[in-house]
Amino acid sequence: MVEKKTAKVLNFRYAFLAAILILLAGGLVLLPKYQKHEGIKPQVLLSKVISQERYISTDLIADKLISRDPSFILIDVRDEESYANYSLPNAINIPLKKLLDEDSKVYLNQNQFDVVFYSNDNFYADQAWILCSRLGYKNLRVLKGGTNRWFSTIINPQVPSENKTAEEFELFTTRKAASMYFGVIYPDQVASKDSEVKIEAPKKVITVRKKKKKAPEGGC
Amino acid sequence: MGPLIPNGIIPIEWDSIIAILIGIVFGFVLESSGFSSSRKLAGVFYGYDFAVLKVFFTAAVVSLIGVYYMDYLGYLDITQLYVHPLYLWGAIIGGIIMGAGFVAGGFCPGTSLCAVAIGKIDAIVYVVGIMIGVFIFSELFPIIEPIYDGYFYGNLTLQDSLGINPYWLVFIFSIIAIVAFVIADMVRKRIKNVFY
Repeated sequence: MVEKKTAKVLNFRYAFLAAILILLAGGLVLLPKYQKHEGIKPQVLLSKVISQERYISTDLIADKLISRDPSFILIDVRDEESYANYSLPNAINIPLKKLLDEDSKVYLNQNQFDVVFYSNDNFYADQAWILCSRLGYKNLRVLKGGTNRWFSTIINPQVPSENKTAEEFELFTTRKAASMYFGVIYPDQVASKDSEVKIEAPKKVITVRKKKKKAPEGGC
Repeated sequence: MGPLIPNGIIPIEWDSIIAILIGIVFGFVLESSGFSSSRKLAGVFYGYDFAVLKVFFTAAVVSLIGVYYMDYLGYLDITQLYVHPLYLWGAIIGGIIMGAGFVAGGFCPGTSLCAVAIGKIDAIVYVVGIMIGVFIFSELFPIIEPIYDGYFYGNLTLQDSLGINPYWLVFIFSIIAIVAFVIADMVRKRIKNVFY
């Protein structure tokens, strides 16, 4: 008797399974929808924002530019006009408005290069940094102080007063050298150049031709 | 949270090991459910056994529903999952060749290896045939290459190309599955006299 009963129930097992399937699939349709976060979680973003790790100093950028470090790209987030007026060497102009365009994604969302944002100060660059970090892009940096600090430190470094430490003087000479690399000409430089440079007569170079070894021909 | 390996919850070095373990379990299940018999597999085409259709369709629907529930609950990020790229004509022509081989030989590549493992001679011949096919394909590759690399449509999914809400798609898909199972059962009852 019992077996017959179970057999009767088991007759409906496929119908039962099909019902479960439809119920589950229908449940998906009926579930209340909610907006999902795109990109990284808010907590992660907040901890990244608080951290100062994103800032990169003008000295470091100058050093990287001089040593032709290929590992980073500079991105100017100011408008086109300011970019045309002055910008760092080899910088790419992506104004803040166009930051989320499809074309700029190529530069921002990649793993090969560090991306360094800069603007006049670091204010707009920070905004660009937050927008991009929110989307989960990696290796983003901000130039601390932007082009203003670039001018005051690299292009036009202040001569430290006499009571400053030796390190500051050293820093000054490095910055001065860097500024000369970027095209600044100092008056003392011009004067000293005239007096020191002697023109030497070019040596005649006599090239000795080596006899070419003949390639072995034929033979075994 | 998930997928586990891309998000670093399981280190990437484990992926081959996990793949081997899953492969072993998959092979075991295939064999124990009788899929290493070419008669059972060919039954789909002749209408006396729809086990293959039912198993693979059920697997697809169940995993689809499971993935979407896990995505909804936040255990799995569906956008991080791998979507196979669509090479339209490559897929169509390859599918026809694969289907013809399926009917003629009674195995698909996976089940043929299962059947080799239990020592079926027809499966061994079939696998040798696969090797010959691979060789011919490789030799003709320069001729085939435009089809192989061409007609590329990106990593498309049904929801992209149809533009339907994915949840409705899952629902419709599971209803199609159930209808297919019912029809398959009706066909199988008509063709009763096949003995295999």
